Amino acid sequence: MGSSPPNRLPDSWAACKTMALTLSARSLVKRYGGVIALRDGSLEIQSGEVVALVGANGSGKSTLSKIITGAVVPNGGHLLLDGTPIQFPNPQAARKRGIAVVYQELSLIPDMTVAENIWLSHEPLRFGIAVNRGAMRDRTQALLDLFAGTISPKLQPDTPVTALPPDERQVVEIVKAISSDPRLIILDEATASLDTNQVNRLFELVKTWKEAGKAVIIITHRMEEIFRVADKATVLRSGESVGTVTIANTDEKTIVGMMIEGAVTPEQIRIPTTALESHVRLDVKRLNGGRLRNVSFTLHDGELLGLGGLQGQGQVDLLLALFGLIPHSGEVILNGKSVHFRHPADAMKQQVAYVPGDRGTEGLLFIRSIFENMQLPSWRKYGIVHRRHAARKDALASAADLQMVYASLDDPVSSLSGGNAQKVVIGKWLLRQPKLLLLGDPTKGVDVGAKGEFYALLRQLTEAGTAILFYSSDDSELLGLCSRVLVFHEGGIRTELSGENLTRANLVAASMGTAHEHD
Amino acid sequence: MNTIRLQRFFSRQSYVISLILLIVVVAVNYSFQNNLFELRIINNNLRTMMPLMILAVGQAIVVIGGGVDLSVGTMVSMINTLLVTWITPESTGGEIALAFALVCGIGILGGALNGFAVAFLRLQPIVTTYATSFIFSGIALLVLPRPGGSLPRDLVTFYRSTPLDLPLGLYVIGVLILFWIVLRSTRYAQYLFAIGSSSDAAYATGVPVRSVRVTTYVWSGLFAALAGIALTLSTGSGQANIGDDMTLNSVVAVVLGGIALRGGGGNAIGAVIGVIILGVIRNIIFFAEVPTWSQTLVNALVILAALAAPGVIRLIRRLIQR
Repeated sequence: MGSSPPNRLPDSWAACKTMALTLSARSLVKRYGGVIALRDGSLEIQSGEVVALVGANGSGKSTLSKIITGAVVPNGGHLLLDGTPIQFPNPQAARKRGIAVVYQELSLIPDMTVAENIWLSHEPLRFGIAVNRGAMRDRTQALLDLFAGTISPKLQPDTPVTALPPDERQVVEIVKAISSDPRLIILDEATASLDTNQVNRLFELVKTWKEAGKAVIIITHRMEEIFRVADKATVLRSGESVGTVTIANTDEKTIVGMMIEGAVTPEQIRIPTTALESHVRLDVKRLNGGRLRNVSFTLHDGELLGLGGLQGQGQVDLLLALFGLIPHSGEVILNGKSVHFRHPADAMKQQVAYVPGDRGTEGLLFIRSIFENMQLPSWRKYGIVHRRHAARKDALASAADLQMVYASLDDPVSSLSGGNAQKVVIGKWLLRQPKLLLLGDPTKGVDVGAKGEFYALLRQLTEAGTAILFYSSDDSELLGLCSRVLVFHEGGIRTELSGENLTRANLVAASMGTAHEHD
Repeated sequence: MNTIRLQRFFSRQSYVISLILLIVVVAVNYSFQNNLFELRIINNNLRTMMPLMILAVGQAIVVIGGGVDLSVGTMVSMINTLLVTWITPESTGGEIALAFALVCGIGILGGALNGFAVAFLRLQPIVTTYATSFIFSGIALLVLPRPGGSLPRDLVTFYRSTPLDLPLGLYVIGVLILFWIVLRSTRYAQYLFAIGSSSDAAYATGVPVRSVRVTTYVWSGLFAALAGIALTLSTGSGQANIGDDMTLNSVVAVVLGGIALRGGGGNAIGAVIGVIILGVIRNIIFFAEVPTWSQTLVNALVILAALAAPGVIRLIRRLIQR
């Protein structure tokens, strides 16, 4: 490894051709317990190609890319690199073979400088032992110059990463990936936090990488970007690769069609639309905060309003803002009164409840009993000297309402199945009889039977007049349950779908940021 | 540009506040004890601080790597009992060298045990090293149930010597600083800071997180052995619980040295400064003629104040900005 790639200067690799690469993934399978994340993941790419990996939520595109980068080990199928079968036990192994990934969830060490981060684990060395800080700084500067004009002068090799805004951290992340002169670069939502100039520069760079013989896989939630840089698009649907198209010979509609083709629409148990004439429970105007950009909508009593779109487009931020968990600006009118919640306790006082999707970290105290968990948000109701009997009676009634399966209220929550644990999360809020219920992907990881009961519960609640804001990463659920869905894209409401416009094709098209199509 | 430089300077030279603190306590000490800067006094002071200094540098490496080692004190005790058993006043130079090498090996083994449990069995560092600390104190009791033992006179004199008219302690400090400078310049140090700051991000970047984590405990084991040798030379005899108190002192020294307990930042030289601060505070209390029965309390309060100083400074700064 005398002339290993990191010791070359970045300008030199742009000029000379990279060693050729062919990668093919064939029928890759990945199971997590009983859940199949990837059923038949296939992908072909070779040097000088830009392939877009496209799919709706849960289509398996991130699992497929994680197998290629060595972050996930598959249960079946083959991965062929340059014609020979290979399996990467960890990300290091993939990187040694010339595969680098730009993470969206940042892989930077906050306490270290830009240069230290970029060269971490392949630092240029002097005498084979001492880190050559001078060379490290110079090479970092050369790499950063690729983005010159689109980054602030504050972004220097010696700047600590903590001092950088998100877009510049993403730039560092990109530069870090290319610092090892990879043969295959995977851009996993790398443009999400970049500004327009930085995206343009990145795509110019992608073109030069292509010319230099590198292969690029791009995963993006922006359909427009696929048509700007990709040569081919491989489409995934429910864990299967359903085909690859040449971008020059296709259009957006075809790709959306492939993404949704043949998917079953679930049984319709829509809540009647009469709700729209009822009392306005929530009126949101130009809400900003977190990822949110100027979000406005109204929600009526007894309505189940769906929040759709690809994951991480601001849906959760909306729920968090409405529950007072993240700082926000804009107008929120709850039940005719303007409110601004700074703390969940404020929201709880106004009969707002939030059921998070991540039961483990936000929803439950796992080792404590079912009873304790259920009465936690309502303890005030039972007095300073705890009226345990009254509390227990209410908890029992609530558990019966939810058809919860458990041995004793004193058992720890950790003894329950996923579906029943989720009922505890909901149950603890129902004890407070909320008027506005915020649901953040509540059926994630819940089995089918429990889902059915959960849907029935939602119906009961809406019939009783509860207004529900329902974010789900499962499109079928939104199509089946809601009569109105707000589709989020990059922190804003891309479009509102209802009535006959509420189709899977429109939902998917809007979540990829393309125009709203009327059938 | 300048603010970045300054920011960077403070993040790297995390012990700047410690240095200021050191100057303050030394000045106070001097006001009570005017012969503080005489060679003999400096030599005496450094000699008592030396074992903890060595120990604290090892602790600093573990803490920077995101862990903590609560077994170092009893490891020092164990090394002490082994040394006084193996070395007698009649031991030859070769035998003594062999004993030193053996205890270093034992320190490395003990550290590897800690590191293995933390990195591969994924046990909490605090619990693990607290548990293993009893293994070491148990061995110490088996080896030397009753205090005793004595060393060759030459060895004890060497520890009190002042080569080239400079206290031995200064040489040790020099070696420790040099060690850190060399270590800091290696790729290994980048790994160390990376795993301490964010082990997930480090793993995703290809840092061998587990092996690096094991080595941090190996370093602290080795430094505990060296501290055990220094302590044995300093006392000239053995006792099964002689180093037990040094564990928490090493952690306090690390914190006083500006090394964040959350890991990923700091400088091991800071830990050396922290030890000197602790020693000087003890001096001050002695020379300020604090009544015997109040000394522990006053010592604790002063250390608490020193630990709180950076936090208080930050608090004041924030209040002023408002």
